[in-house]
Amino acid sequence: MKLLADTRLFFWRKMKETLRNPIYMLNSLLTPIIYLMLFAPLLQKLVGVPGLDAGDVMNVFVPGLLVIISFFAGLFVGYNMIDEVRNGVIERFRVTPTSRFALLAGRVLRDMVNMLVTVTVFVVISLPFGFRPDVLGFLVFVPLLCLLLITTSSFGNALGLLLRDEDRLSPIVQGINLPILLLSGMLLPMELAPAWLQALAHLNPAYYCVEAGRLLVAGHIADIRVAEAYLFMVPLAVVVVAWATRAFRNAIA
Amino acid sequence: MPDVVVSTHDLKKYFSSRSGVVRAVNGVNLNVRAGQVFGFLGPNGAGKTTTLRILTTLIPADSGQAVVAGYDVIRDPDDVRRHIGYVGQSGGSDRPATGRENLVLQGRLYGMPRMDAGRRAAELIDLLDLTDFADRIAYTYSGGQRRRLDVALGIVHRPAVLFLDEPTTGLDPQNRANLWEQIAKLKATGTTIFLTTHYLEEADVLSDYVAIMDHGLIVAEGTPDQLKRQVSLDMIRITLSNPAQASDVFRMLETQSVVKAVAEEQGALRISVDNGEAALPEIIRTLDAQDIAIGGITLSTATLDDVFLEKTGRSLRDTAANIAGGA
Repeated sequence: MKLLADTRLFFWRKMKETLRNPIYMLNSLLTPIIYLMLFAPLLQKLVGVPGLDAGDVMNVFVPGLLVIISFFAGLFVGYNMIDEVRNGVIERFRVTPTSRFALLAGRVLRDMVNMLVTVTVFVVISLPFGFRPDVLGFLVFVPLLCLLLITTSSFGNALGLLLRDEDRLSPIVQGINLPILLLSGMLLPMELAPAWLQALAHLNPAYYCVEAGRLLVAGHIADIRVAEAYLFMVPLAVVVVAWATRAFRNAIA
Repeated sequence: MPDVVVSTHDLKKYFSSRSGVVRAVNGVNLNVRAGQVFGFLGPNGAGKTTTLRILTTLIPADSGQAVVAGYDVIRDPDDVRRHIGYVGQSGGSDRPATGRENLVLQGRLYGMPRMDAGRRAAELIDLLDLTDFADRIAYTYSGGQRRRLDVALGIVHRPAVLFLDEPTTGLDPQNRANLWEQIAKLKATGTTIFLTTHYLEEADVLSDYVAIMDHGLIVAEGTPDQLKRQVSLDMIRITLSNPAQASDVFRMLETQSVVKAVAEEQGALRISVDNGEAALPEIIRTLDAQDIAIGGITLSTATLDDVFLEKTGRSLRDTAANIAGGA
């Protein structure tokens, strides 16, 4: 299959970049570690408020950080894309008889590997802080993180390709960054939010992932909100990937 | 292989901009023969790159036809892609990878098995003199080294036609000369080469056939010699050791068949001829036979810039200088 073969070629092209400088992979660990060290201790005093049950503070907080890792592992790839557009790399590939979908898929898969490595390292770091995930629940959480990564990485790549300019990409990426973070319930449970803010959170893919992640880590695999998260994320990922593939097909870059 | 490798019929591409519609390509007809180096000359903004991007399947034309390597660019883009090589203005080599990795990946994208792609990469490293740096990361390459890798990437799959968009822009004179040599080598292997340039010398030195484009239209085409002969005569200027003889010489030359026109100015003679290189020895012999001592002699041949000036009313050199100055 040409599509699979090309995807593999494009995946390894990007993976080799990562393996040459594996330290860059750890860049995305810095922010969550700072949250873990400088913010998580504040939550200990809040035990008892809705959404924060005693003894489970880390099980509530760490899934949120894992979602943030996954979200940003994808969103910021647009900068690298702009670099490649500028150097004519993407244009060169588009003149070969290769599948446009493979060009996108290879990049997204590499980002996914980066994300999974980062998540694994971060989970290990969180264990001494008291993170005690339910193993089966956690395994159901990982595909959700992958779906989120597929969505954000496809979005980030297509955005870089369409905008072709860091100065135009930055306001969008930064503009998305903070509302997604605040409306995900990652810092404080959305149960504390007024109704209008909760309604707004329901438009945020990160919110569904954080909610489902907390339930899964606590072992509540059968909870309806887990199914809800998958029902939100699967179509979203499909739509964004389709849109990004179209961008790769039509790009003037 | 068909004799005509690239042909277009009434190709058009308009862009809308804030100041109105830009007729980037406004009815272009081209025929590029197999084995030719086809030079596409014109100032920046003439529509050369847009035409090239249509021919390489990167953008669709608004109307008209284009057939490349026997396939229609709109109906069979993948077949076109299999048979063409393309080196864009910004190059295309992947900087975090080595030259060899770049070449192997490119081969595999055209469907070569791993072993074949590796062998072909080694061949190209040899052909384009990349040996010294092929296994270094491309970030470390100089401009000239990177350009040679870019060209190697364009010919991995032995394309029927190689498109080069402004291949020597930004190169220093030495690297430019080196790339010209490489292009000549490629031509010797039978590859058809379609190159755009705004350098007169480049079009003149490299091309078998030149099309001059301005404002979306082809304003002149032919071999460089044909074009130059069309618009302008060569000029021979002779100064005499004894300026008093000027009037005699004037009368002598007037009757020569190779001389189209002659003018006397302060003891020197300006002689217009069709073909300066052929006429020069003949004129020298004539004067010699009459024992007329020549003080000095210069020959200026027509350039493609004279052609451009004749067809557009502007000098390509001025156009290029204005753009460079304004940028």
